[in-house]
Amino acid sequence: MKPRKVIFGTLRWTALSMYLLFAVFPLAWIFITSIKPPQEVYTYPIRYWPSKPTGEAYVYLFEFANFFRYFVNSIFVSMAASISATFIAMLSGYVLARMRFRGRYLLTLFLFFTQMIPAYLLMIPQFSMFSDFKLINRLSGIILIYIGLGATFSTIMARGFFVRIPETLEEAAMIDGCTRLGALFRITLRLMLPGVAAVFSFSFVNNWNELFTAALFLNSDSKMTVPVALYSFISKAGIQWNVLGAGIIIALVPTIFVFSFAQKYIVAGLTQGSVKE
Amino acid sequence: MNRKKGLFIFLMLVPTFSVIGFLTIYPTIKGFILAFQNYTVFTFGRVRFIGWDNFAKIFSDPEFLNIVWNTVVWISVSVFFQLVLGLGLALLMRKPFKGRGIYAGLVFYPWALSGFAIGLLWSWLLNGQFGIVNDVLVRLGLIKDNIQFLSNPDTAMFSVLLVNIWYGIPFFAIMSLAALQSIPKSVYEAAQIDGAGGFKQLVSITLPYIRPTLINTILLRVIWVMNFPDVIYGMTRGGPAGSTEILSTYMINIVYYKNDFSRASAVGVLIVLFLLVYTIFYLRISGGKELEL
Repeated sequence: MKPRKVIFGTLRWTALSMYLLFAVFPLAWIFITSIKPPQEVYTYPIRYWPSKPTGEAYVYLFEFANFFRYFVNSIFVSMAASISATFIAMLSGYVLARMRFRGRYLLTLFLFFTQMIPAYLLMIPQFSMFSDFKLINRLSGIILIYIGLGATFSTIMARGFFVRIPETLEEAAMIDGCTRLGALFRITLRLMLPGVAAVFSFSFVNNWNELFTAALFLNSDSKMTVPVALYSFISKAGIQWNVLGAGIIIALVPTIFVFSFAQKYIVAGLTQGSVKE
Repeated sequence: MNRKKGLFIFLMLVPTFSVIGFLTIYPTIKGFILAFQNYTVFTFGRVRFIGWDNFAKIFSDPEFLNIVWNTVVWISVSVFFQLVLGLGLALLMRKPFKGRGIYAGLVFYPWALSGFAIGLLWSWLLNGQFGIVNDVLVRLGLIKDNIQFLSNPDTAMFSVLLVNIWYGIPFFAIMSLAALQSIPKSVYEAAQIDGAGGFKQLVSITLPYIRPTLINTILLRVIWVMNFPDVIYGMTRGGPAGSTEILSTYMINIVYYKNDFSRASAVGVLIVLFLLVYTIFYLRISGGKELEL
């Protein structure tokens, strides 16, 4: 091997390993903190590893801090909203990708612009609307809002996936006597499964992470989602960092889990619009 | 037949577009109206129009210019380093190596995590007393005394930027990697025959080839970073002494702590105006190409 190649190879590996450390270490450290016994969290000098790893912080969260409730709320809200948003996005995404009609371009353009309006800008008017409907401090209200937040980008994403599926397959099925809806369900949706996975997981992750609207809308303890609970934790005095660390781990784990199997599809969904092939 | 097709299109589009109309478009309009009213938590039923008062209050806030400046710093520094480091990472990961899939999983994971939880997590790492970052820096002999990263106004902005960059590198790396992989190999083969070295290839082939993707990603990312108060909220909530306050955290703080919904809406209107001007600029640069999808 040429010496130049060896030097470049070594540099490359050093850079890649350093970045790996930089990326993984923060999560590892918060995990280590969360399994420390309380008296070892605030020590000087810092303990790098607990003398006896313990699940105390997690037990505390679930048994005393009502975290099971928050977790179930988060799962319920995120699932309900993502399933609904994915479903309606499939319908509209299909029509926008496949059917020729007047106004199609304008509707797509409209979606492009509305997706830029962020959640936190909408929360005040939504709060005022929803207090008229008595939907404040209710999970159903938050689900509705999340469907609204997810619908736009989900449609854009779904449309992108539909565009990539060859239309001839459907036409063949329709010649064989399938109705358009039948062709959609039997042929296209089957090929769309990666697209469905991408739209659903992306929407799920966004809902799972949303803090600001939920914190404004959900004010009773039994209705809180995980991010709201974390937010209320830090305003309480005397919260221990091993407990907060455990809460952070719980807030992050479901999204890490979703991404470990759906990242491939989501990336395909995100890049197809901007990467020209 | 044609009427049937029209009905089909209509029925398929109705759910999505009524949801968007009811939950995005109507609230946007209502937000503009609220900005000219006196709607707070305490004025239920007695809401009336007060003209430009909310805007006057915002512009007379001595902190306002500072907040705008912070927003500009927040956007430009974040996006610049996210891009450069993300692209660098993508270039390093481009040639296949054993375990690349696992490596990608391990380094890309932060990009979709809760920004708020990430902010909280880092605030523990950067803690002025028990933070591991201080501990490591002291042991390496780089500093003598602990740095109060988040409670000192001089270092707070640096700290939230560091975390936001850390958080955003994977996104740029993913986008760049996808773009890099779409470059046909034959281009490089031709360059090799011509005797172009690695650096020459990078400058004259790779970068021009992925330029459109990068420009698109940067322009969209600016909007996204501007509207991303989550990390700051997990770390400093805009403090200390307003040193990390950007427009979005400013608005949220007015909602949560002053409960002045109308004034917050006025800040929202300013943000929307900024976004609008920026989007027009964006469409001019990119020529509206990506809208054809």
